[in-house]
Amino acid sequence: MLALDLFVNGLIIGLYYALMAVGLSMIFGILKVVNFAHGEFYMVGAYAYTLISLNLGVSPWLALPIAAAAGGAIGWLTERWLMRPLYTGYGSWGLMKDEYAVVVTFGLSLLLINLFDKVIGPYPMRGPALSDVTRMSIGPFMMSGHKLITAGLAIVLIVGLALFIKRSLWGRQIQAVAQNRLGASIAGIDTARASCIVFVASGVLAAIAGALLAPVINPAPDVGIFPAIKSYVIVVIGGMGSIPGSIVAALILGVLESFGAVYLSYDYRDTYGLVLLILILLFRPQGLFGERSREV
Amino acid sequence: MSPPKNPNLHSSKLANELILSLVVLGVLALLPAFVQSPYWLGVLIVSMYFAIMSSGWNLLAGYAGQFSLAPAAFAMLGGYSTGLFFYHLKAPLWIGLPMAIIIPGIIGLVLGRIVLRLSGAYLALTTLSFAEIMRLIIYNSIDFTRGDQGLNVPGLLDDRLAYYYIFLVSLAIVVGLVYWILRMPLGRFLQALRDDEIGAASRGVNVVRCKTIAFFVSCAICGFAGGLYGTFARLVSPELGLIAQTGLVIAMVVIGGMGTLVGPLIGALLVYTASEFLRDVGGIQMIVFSFLVIIFARYFREGLWGLVRRGFDRRGGRGPGGGQPPDGRSNLAAKRGA
Amino acid sequence: MRQLRYVLAALAAGVFSTAGHAQSTEPITIGVSIAQSPPGSVVQGTQVKDGVEIIAKILNDGGGVLGRPLKIVYEDNQGIPEKGRAAVEKLISRDKVVALTGGHQSSVCLAEIDVAHRYKVPYINTNCWSDDIRTKGYPEVFNPGNYNTRVSSAMAETIAALKVKNVVAFAENTDYGIGQAKVLAEFLKKMAPDTNYKYVALDRAGKDFTPAVLPLRANPPDMVVNIMLPPAAYILMNQLYEQGVAPSAKTWFYDGAGIADYPDFWQNVKEAGKYMLAFGLYHPQMPMPELGQKVAKIYQEQAKHEPNRLIFQAADSVLLIARAIEQAKSTDSAAMIKALQDMQFEGVRGKFSFSKEPGYGFQQWVDIPYVTYQLTEVNQPLSKTTLIQATGQPLQTDKLVKPSN
Repeated sequence: MLALDLFVNGLIIGLYYALMAVGLSMIFGILKVVNFAHGEFYMVGAYAYTLISLNLGVSPWLALPIAAAAGGAIGWLTERWLMRPLYTGYGSWGLMKDEYAVVVTFGLSLLLINLFDKVIGPYPMRGPALSDVTRMSIGPFMMSGHKLITAGLAIVLIVGLALFIKRSLWGRQIQAVAQNRLGASIAGIDTARASCIVFVASGVLAAIAGALLAPVINPAPDVGIFPAIKSYVIVVIGGMGSIPGSIVAALILGVLESFGAVYLSYDYRDTYGLVLLILILLFRPQGLFGERSREV
Repeated sequence: MSPPKNPNLHSSKLANELILSLVVLGVLALLPAFVQSPYWLGVLIVSMYFAIMSSGWNLLAGYAGQFSLAPAAFAMLGGYSTGLFFYHLKAPLWIGLPMAIIIPGIIGLVLGRIVLRLSGAYLALTTLSFAEIMRLIIYNSIDFTRGDQGLNVPGLLDDRLAYYYIFLVSLAIVVGLVYWILRMPLGRFLQALRDDEIGAASRGVNVVRCKTIAFFVSCAICGFAGGLYGTFARLVSPELGLIAQTGLVIAMVVIGGMGTLVGPLIGALLVYTASEFLRDVGGIQMIVFSFLVIIFARYFREGLWGLVRRGFDRRGGRGPGGGQPPDGRSNLAAKRGA
Repeated sequence: MRQLRYVLAALAAGVFSTAGHAQSTEPITIGVSIAQSPPGSVVQGTQVKDGVEIIAKILNDGGGVLGRPLKIVYEDNQGIPEKGRAAVEKLISRDKVVALTGGHQSSVCLAEIDVAHRYKVPYINTNCWSDDIRTKGYPEVFNPGNYNTRVSSAMAETIAALKVKNVVAFAENTDYGIGQAKVLAEFLKKMAPDTNYKYVALDRAGKDFTPAVLPLRANPPDMVVNIMLPPAAYILMNQLYEQGVAPSAKTWFYDGAGIADYPDFWQNVKEAGKYMLAFGLYHPQMPMPELGQKVAKIYQEQAKHEPNRLIFQAADSVLLIARAIEQAKSTDSAAMIKALQDMQFEGVRGKFSFSKEPGYGFQQWVDIPYVTYQLTEVNQPLSKTTLIQATGQPLQTDKLVKPSN
């Protein structure tokens, strides 16, 4: 049945979106800024996965964690070099704090895109699939083996992240810093390390999302721009800083786009999320699950 | 309160910037005597297009503190206003070009109203989404706009040199307009808005009106740039509104010096012409510039113009702000950061 | 002779074509604008470049043109009309090329020919199929490649012969895609009035077409037509296959974009390409002049892969420029254009001259040869595919096979 097909397809797409968006949400929760280079973490993951498995002849299953590590490394570098000034205090600079984050991460995004374009070349590559089964049926649905595996992996990772934040020591420290940075540091929490962990995790997840999608999206330097925009939409709709919010919003967006493409208009399917974003910002700026207060 | 050393800090700083802007414009006016290759004239014309757009965006982001990510989209709207009037109604350019100013201005007004209560990341994201929606609509409305294929726009004239001066005069007008706004009380209100919105409102600044005007003027200027460019390239396409183009504008303003009159000028001219030079060397221009943007944002907030000015200040000369915070802004800005 | 040179240069200042230089060993510069990065079709751009290089070498090894060596300057237009315009402006005003060629994506060609027309520089349209390029009637533009009307009439003939009831076409949202989809609609109305036809425009930069494919799963048509270029075409094919829509026992898959002979075709589509019908402009079983066979052999040795039509079209483009210069005995634009309009050309694909009929055939090789064939095995080279329609021969639809499920 078409509607059921669309629903499942939308959920699967939503899972990929969620992988990308949770990291962004965490960054906002802890630093109150948006990372405009997020799409490039995704791109780095896609490239690392593809290049390592194609050129070094390594099994895709091994390339995946390596790609994740690459994403984590870039996340770490970004936090260490560019984000530190945001909370180590700075004087009467020309750019305000938020604008600084936007400009600097924008610049990083441009830098990464063009660096990869120059060094690796702009030709689209084809990432290897995790499974050779190109077509199989799961009940009434048809999908490729790769799609099934990646959906499963995405679920595991997302649940794992949620558990990490809720249950583990570091996770709870991150929550504390997100709620009140000053208070958390008074309580003895290393806020710099919390920020670092968040950025690394964000990079890892985005990179894995990129790697899992590599067989479909054909990695190219500009491949991260669109997923990044989708992530911003999701993070705002779900509520900046709320992980369950971004997961739910991601799934909603996936299903909305899937249905909208068929029943409303295929051409404009990318605008649905953006329109929803503007509406949410106007009428319920804290998003679905976000806290009431927001930056003034 | 004892009067500061330089009672007219704001306007004398502005006056210095105006003088430098005039110098830059003057140099541009004389360049064709030395540069005759039509290719390089073309490069300069496009950099003036960016300079106009950058000045418009700088008014909104640098002076009014509204960090919009939509300037390129408005340039695209301007170009398409002219193009669509010609394509569907066969309207001549003396109707099409003013449309390139008015229509983006009005849409900018609408955007300004939407983001009235937003700031920071939310403002950036909303304007980004707005820009993308505009671009996607134009890209997908194939029957109306011919989508990705672009629209042909008639040219004003055929002579490239004449075009050069048209762009130069337009740039001068835009710079003059921005200067004039800054001289008026509105100019100070905008900067107050940027530095401390609540404080400004508590002192009676009509925040709504100021933001609305800032958006209107800024987007109209960007639209104007786009319309002019369309007649030069004889083609407008959704390419003009890509986020990457906005990135270029931001890079130019940041490198040149945000929140200064002359910063966007130097930034645009330098970045674009240098990028054409570097393109021949090996296409590394964007790498260099994005790297510079990061470095400047991280270490040299006031951009090139700021560096130059600090050079003057340090000589203990007559420059404004000797001993005071570099931009003469209140230290309230610093308190927000922690 | 110096004064003469300055006078000539001054006269040519307003017109950006090369004035006739007195130097006899100065290279002749030809400008090639192709896509070498996304969202353009990089695989096409690379093929065009390969073809240009092969013929340039053949010509230069034979002493060049009018005793002068050929120099090729490439510009990357990224498949974007705006960049194509800028690239061509640069080639004309900075590199002072005598002619332009290489265009392989219609939207870009349309933007570029305007510039060529303004500067009155000859433009050889290597592979842009949109009829609009011809109907504009610019005297500078010559079309030795394929055109949408040709493909659509051929495809409509096949569709009518197969007697299919429901046809859905996926077209990319460019001048080429929409143009071909619309012309196909017109031809089907005439040749197969009982067939229901509709087309869906897809974003060539899209990565996921499943929402467009899923409705077809619920309601399978009898045939899906492809009017998209790689990489989007490959993604579409894979997703059509994944959902079991086409090629299948019920649904044919017919490619009208000529993608079956691209070097990266099989590695990207694998099983999804089996049973695909294709409109082709090149097949090893087509008759070919000696020069064409030579070019094919050189390419086969270099690339270890069968050539495709782009190689030959690109070679013909440069060859046309060379022959025009030889016949006009100069690199002056107006003389070259006149030579091209009147010449009887013998190229790597055959003999032809450009038609003077206004409309879609203006300055076009109207009777360009084509074939129709079907792929029957994964990784099948062209030479082993089943030829359903040889050049100029009637269709043999009984040779077609369908998968069993």
